Amino acid sequence: MARYVIRRLLQAIPLLLIVSFVLFALMQATGDPLATMGGRQPTRAADRERLARQLGLDQPIHVQYVYWLIGNDWVVVDAETGRTGTRRGILRGDFGVSYATRQPVLEMIGGRVPDTLLLTLTAEVLILTVSLGIGIFSAVRKYSFFDQAFTSISFVLYSVPVFIMAYTLIYAFSIGLRRAGLPYFPTSGIFDPAIGRTFEQVVWHMVLPVLTLSLISIAAYSRYIRSTMLEVISSDYIRTARSKGITERRTLFVHAFKNASLPLITLIGLDLPFLLGGAVVTETIFAWPGMGYLFINSLQRSDYPVLMGILMLIAVGVVISQLIVDLLYTVLDPRIRYS
Amino acid sequence: MRFFRIALVVLALMAVMAAPMQAQGKSATVSWPQEPDTLSPLYTSMTFAGYTYQLYLSGAWAFDADLTPFPVLVSEIPSVDNGGINADGTVFTLKLKEGLTWSDGDALDSADFLFTYEMIMAEGNAVGSRTPYDRFVSIEAPDATTVVITFAEPYAPWLSLFGAVLPEHVLRPVFEAEGSIDTADFNRNPTVSSGPYVFETWEVGSFMRFQANPAYVLGQPKIDTLVVTFIPDEVAYVAALINGDSDLGTFVAFSDVPALEEAGLTVEVIPSGYNEGWYLNTSAERAHPAMTDVNVRKAIAMAFDRDDFNATLNYGATFTPHSFWENTPYANPDIDPYPFDPAMAAQLLDEAGWVDSNGDGTRDKDGVELVLRFVTNTRGIRVDLQAIAQQQLAAVGIGTELINFPSDQFFAGYAEGGPISTGQYDIAELSTAPATFPDPNTVRFLCSEIPSDENPVGANDNYYCDPELDALFEQQSSTTDLAERIAIFHQIDQKMFDAAIWIGIWHDADVWITGSDLQNVALNGVTPFWDVQNWDVAS
Repeated sequence: MARYVIRRLLQAIPLLLIVSFVLFALMQATGDPLATMGGRQPTRAADRERLARQLGLDQPIHVQYVYWLIGNDWVVVDAETGRTGTRRGILRGDFGVSYATRQPVLEMIGGRVPDTLLLTLTAEVLILTVSLGIGIFSAVRKYSFFDQAFTSISFVLYSVPVFIMAYTLIYAFSIGLRRAGLPYFPTSGIFDPAIGRTFEQVVWHMVLPVLTLSLISIAAYSRYIRSTMLEVISSDYIRTARSKGITERRTLFVHAFKNASLPLITLIGLDLPFLLGGAVVTETIFAWPGMGYLFINSLQRSDYPVLMGILMLIAVGVVISQLIVDLLYTVLDPRIRYS
Repeated sequence: MRFFRIALVVLALMAVMAAPMQAQGKSATVSWPQEPDTLSPLYTSMTFAGYTYQLYLSGAWAFDADLTPFPVLVSEIPSVDNGGINADGTVFTLKLKEGLTWSDGDALDSADFLFTYEMIMAEGNAVGSRTPYDRFVSIEAPDATTVVITFAEPYAPWLSLFGAVLPEHVLRPVFEAEGSIDTADFNRNPTVSSGPYVFETWEVGSFMRFQANPAYVLGQPKIDTLVVTFIPDEVAYVAALINGDSDLGTFVAFSDVPALEEAGLTVEVIPSGYNEGWYLNTSAERAHPAMTDVNVRKAIAMAFDRDDFNATLNYGATFTPHSFWENTPYANPDIDPYPFDPAMAAQLLDEAGWVDSNGDGTRDKDGVELVLRFVTNTRGIRVDLQAIAQQQLAAVGIGTELINFPSDQFFAGYAEGGPISTGQYDIAELSTAPATFPDPNTVRFLCSEIPSDENPVGANDNYYCDPELDALFEQQSSTTDLAERIAIFHQIDQKMFDAAIWIGIWHDADVWITGSDLQNVALNGVTPFWDVQNWDVAS
């Protein structure tokens, strides 16, 4: 097993290098980071030319990539003074500095990860909890009123774009409740600055974004769980278990669910890296200070160092989560062995 | 069940991050639709960063509600009469107030002005802009309260100088240690203040909090705590204003104004120098051949009903500007905008030789169809306008190809192949203002600014060259007498209007929303905070 894990990790190295180069090349086509510098007008052309030189954007793309990868502290960047560069490169833990904020990229990303995980993990837990309940119940009570009602509701929810869901919740539970003179949910931020970051404040501010993230996914996940559970509970071994007198609860949750969870694990494994990447639309609408919000801001500014940092983090997340999923298969299904 | 319990414990641990904190005294909340990228005046062009750093950094002077300059750090606005400006307008002497201090008690004096200049010009600092400091011949500090700046030539837009002054005693050690202040902690966590407020905290992605500065040179603010929140989504932003979660906001769409007024909020439209306009490409090499003909350009202006567009899609909240300097003294009051007159537009096109000879509905000449490239970015109102304009221009036989770019591609420079800079358009719609507003100076229309491979930094995206217009721009830039300068600008305005190189679409003033609790708020187009020390809250 250990050799398998090491082999998979070694295989990931060239893959990540290729991904990084492709992403870096694609970044150049997304826009000019000096176009407006965040302002309302084009940057003065003379300033743009100077900034391109100072930030190294006047170098050919392959040179920029090499500097991003291994740094430029071995290169003379100013012939007059003999000054060498200061960047150490991503391979030596230097993700660079944001063009927009002039902050170290790693610091920016590190500051956003906890809040993103707080939002996405909460949503993921809610999604799994609720959809497992609904999915299993629907499978067991196939074609009951509940099953058919939730089938209809889930089709509606699944069809709603995430931003429509967010706006609907804002109008209903923020503006609507306020108009009715009732306590209303906040529409932005992670806590009220006047009160501070208390447990209650964070939970109160999380309600609408978590619901936005969850409702659509609950609809999709519960349908998926229903169908895999239906397939499993009609299997011969479940019939055998029942005929041996095993309780229905044990039959469902131990024998049936264990096998039904294999495709679910695959699905969750695919979700994991994107939990880290944040929920771009939801975080932006609710001003949730996470990775998705950072990604959109950086995309609007063509802030390559930050975009590359986030995308590489997600790429590494994909590699690791797929490895974890593969290892989980061996736990859930003893027939699977890696050597 | 064990899984659920563990999940709940994990969630609880993740949520409990910091101790509760309660604001003391009077408090108000201002909301921006963008989070400032920095709090340093050197590294940003972002409007909201520009607004926010003025809370903690003062400049030599500021502008009041009428955009008249008044002294902040200086004791009086320099003029020829008080000896602050020499006779030919090349030497400016700034006399600072006595006893100025930073919030930590350190003296704020002429050395800080010199240090600010040094940081702007230092090669180690990748600052956003060096204009106009790169025009200085010298800057000197004969004593602690005097700064003398010398230009090689008379420099009329001098009021754009020193909008913020940096603290030498804090940043000099950083610069000496690192050779740059690009990544100085001060840029995001300023430890001293010369403005009305002292920076307290920046919760990244959420808000900043400032506390009143008792040592502010214009007096301690009445509101003790000012919170600046960031809400990027338009719907959530408007909801926060309506709900009263924000006391002041801006940059809402004209279409949101009715709902905000209905909620009892005060809506003010404040000119900020910006006007949405069509830049018409006149290049013989890069534009459609018809665009070199002034009658075709006038026909374009007359073929689109700008007033109707502003009355409907802009909800009557703005109007059609006739001047690049609309709503300022520099706009020529004798000019009437080109009317919406499709018949006249058709006549002008006929006279220019563009007729529909092949009966396909689009005019042509010498085998060339009159189909123009109409470019802009992806902003919703601009996309809507493109569709309406396409129909109206088609009605007079002008075809259009609508092209939209993301903003960072749209505004990209000549070297990066930006569509405007490289002249790959016939009509380009964007909102622009004089770079140093409220000063009217611009280099956008100078012959020397036409971009090319030899001059990739050129700013003249119209590719228009008129030596007489150049001479007038040159004359105004060295005229320090206000009345004389206004008269020159009226001539400039008339020549630009006659040449039909820029067609105003709407006056792009800023919409500001004030909640009923916030009192004594006076805004201007440069900054909302010029008088923030006099703001108050009802409760």
